[in-house]
Amino acid sequence: MLKLDKLSKSFGGILATDDVSLELKPNSINAVIGPNGAGKTTLFNLITGKISLDKGQIFIGNKNITNLTESEITHLGVARAFQITNIFPTLSVKDSIKVALLAKQHGLNNMWNRFKTHSINNKAEIIAKLSGLTKSYDTISSELSHGDQKLLDIALALALKPKVLLLDEPTAGMGPEERWKMIDRIQKLWKKTKMTVLFIEHDMDIVFDTAQNIYVLQQGSIIAEGTPKEIKNNKKVIEAYLGGGKK
Amino acid sequence: MLFLNKDNFQRDVFLGLLVWLILIMFYFIFPDPGIHDIIQKVFILGLFAMSLNILIGYLGLIAFGHAAFFASGAYTLGLFLQSDFVSNLASFSIPVAMLLAVLVSGILATLIGAICIRLKDIYFSFLTLAFQMLIYSIILALVNITGGDQGLMGGFPKPPFLGINLGKPFDFYAFTIFISIITIVILRQIIESPFGYGLRMIRDNSERPAALGFSNQKHKLIAFIIAGSIAGLAGSLQALLDVGAYPEWAFWSKSAEPLFMILLGGMHSFLGPLMGALIFEILNDFVTANTRYYGLVLGLVILCFVLGLKKGLLDWILIKFNRK
Ligand SMILES: Nc1ncnc2c1ncn2[C@@H]1O[C@H](COP(=O)(O)OP(=O)(O)O)[C@@H](O)[C@H]1O
Ligand SMILES: [Mg+2]
Repeated sequence: MLKLDKLSKSFGGILATDDVSLELKPNSINAVIGPNGAGKTTLFNLITGKISLDKGQIFIGNKNITNLTESEITHLGVARAFQITNIFPTLSVKDSIKVALLAKQHGLNNMWNRFKTHSINNKAEIIAKLSGLTKSYDTISSELSHGDQKLLDIALALALKPKVLLLDEPTAGMGPEERWKMIDRIQKLWKKTKMTVLFIEHDMDIVFDTAQNIYVLQQGSIIAEGTPKEIKNNKKVIEAYLGGGKK
Repeated sequence: MLFLNKDNFQRDVFLGLLVWLILIMFYFIFPDPGIHDIIQKVFILGLFAMSLNILIGYLGLIAFGHAAFFASGAYTLGLFLQSDFVSNLASFSIPVAMLLAVLVSGILATLIGAICIRLKDIYFSFLTLAFQMLIYSIILALVNITGGDQGLMGGFPKPPFLGINLGKPFDFYAFTIFISIITIVILRQIIESPFGYGLRMIRDNSERPAALGFSNQKHKLIAFIIAGSIAGLAGSLQALLDVGAYPEWAFWSKSAEPLFMILLGGMHSFLGPLMGALIFEILNDFVTANTRYYGLVLGLVILCFVLGLKKGLLDWILIKFNRK
């Protein structure tokens, strides 16, 4: 579904992404792990066209999306939620989701209809329900709890009906209980929508429990990949990451 | 009157016409020309301030050079009405002149906007100011056409059309308010449309829209063009009122006026800038009648609003009202 072929990116002297290749199967759920600064977010930025590549190629299905703009790539079916919540502070949950839905169908150029009574309302409710935001549907985004803000960030991505959903630390800043709730929700979403999911997560229990396939990133390159079982028993991983003092 | 509860275009048209009729009755109930003059100016300047607030309140872009479009509208109308066209096709010259004023201001806004919207924050603000001062210099330099620092000389005719004679005070009053209200109703539609929410989205977070497959730049440019066009319309009405056009209208201090109105009335309520224009005009009228220190008083009042209410008056009222 998503294929990365030898991606590289450096910032000044730092090689943030170093010859990364991977291929996600359709309808799979996958995780990226790695210490802070390993280049996980940078990888997402490269995939979504937020920053430009130095080398390599990216494919969605058979389509080469290398060097397309962030907006074009989004329309081809790649959506993401951000590590640092990236929402619209003064808009309500409802209006935020509607704006995302309309953006997807180029509906924000429309000056003739009223936004409040737009027929997109029904779809927005469905997305809110899917994301577990029904209760806070009319709340202004800046007044949401941290967890709900993370959910809204994901809801914005879901509104785009993506083929590939990238989640950058969806559980960042959450307590253990809240984390599992979030992951449960993501898993349910994944099952319902048949998206291909790639998420970044620090909690090993969650990763081993949730992901079908895991990529271990260190200093910009993938040092191991495989099923949870394979990763647990991978010597390199144990040495570099699991065994040696966790960062 | 159930439909009055619904915020839609029909309701706004209805309310707009109602306000217009009330203000026409007002004209006869209070025959003081001074009051009529204030009301006309409130609408003209209110239109100017509301157009700027598309950028400031809804898009989050603080434009310092908005008077460029006010002036271009005024000069376009004045120059057109001084041209030969008027003697050939007199009866429609005022509507045509106003359309041209809007069009020319819109085109100017396209050119200036296309460059300015590439910049952010203070850089955007300064670039709009720079372009406005360029327009100001051009007006001063083209003495043969614009009359330079004297302003558009010799006035211009205001031929009647459709039975409206703008030379008559009542006709002018009713016409100016009518045009302003219609424009405000249309602006309301734009602000409450999906397009209008696109503006709020950019204002709230200009990073995220790209990840929703949305391009900010085009949206910003369209908003800039709409704002410039409406400012041009306001300028053309001001030119009709004063039967002239003056280079000060393109000076930076003219751009500060709608900023003051927005501060006074509020940038987060649709009609805030219009209320700001009302406060501005009333202050102007009272204070200039009683003291020479107009600037001082205006400054103190703005300080009171900014430090006391921490927002414009209408914003403040609406928040009080909702929190009850
Ligand atoms: N826009 C940028 N400019 C310069 N350096 C960057 C930029 N983005 C990331 N980096 C650097 O690239 C490395 C990887 O960062 P990042 O991808 O954010 O790591 P992670 O998400 O795995 O914690 C870090 O050293 C970081 O400082
Ligand atoms: Mg990161």
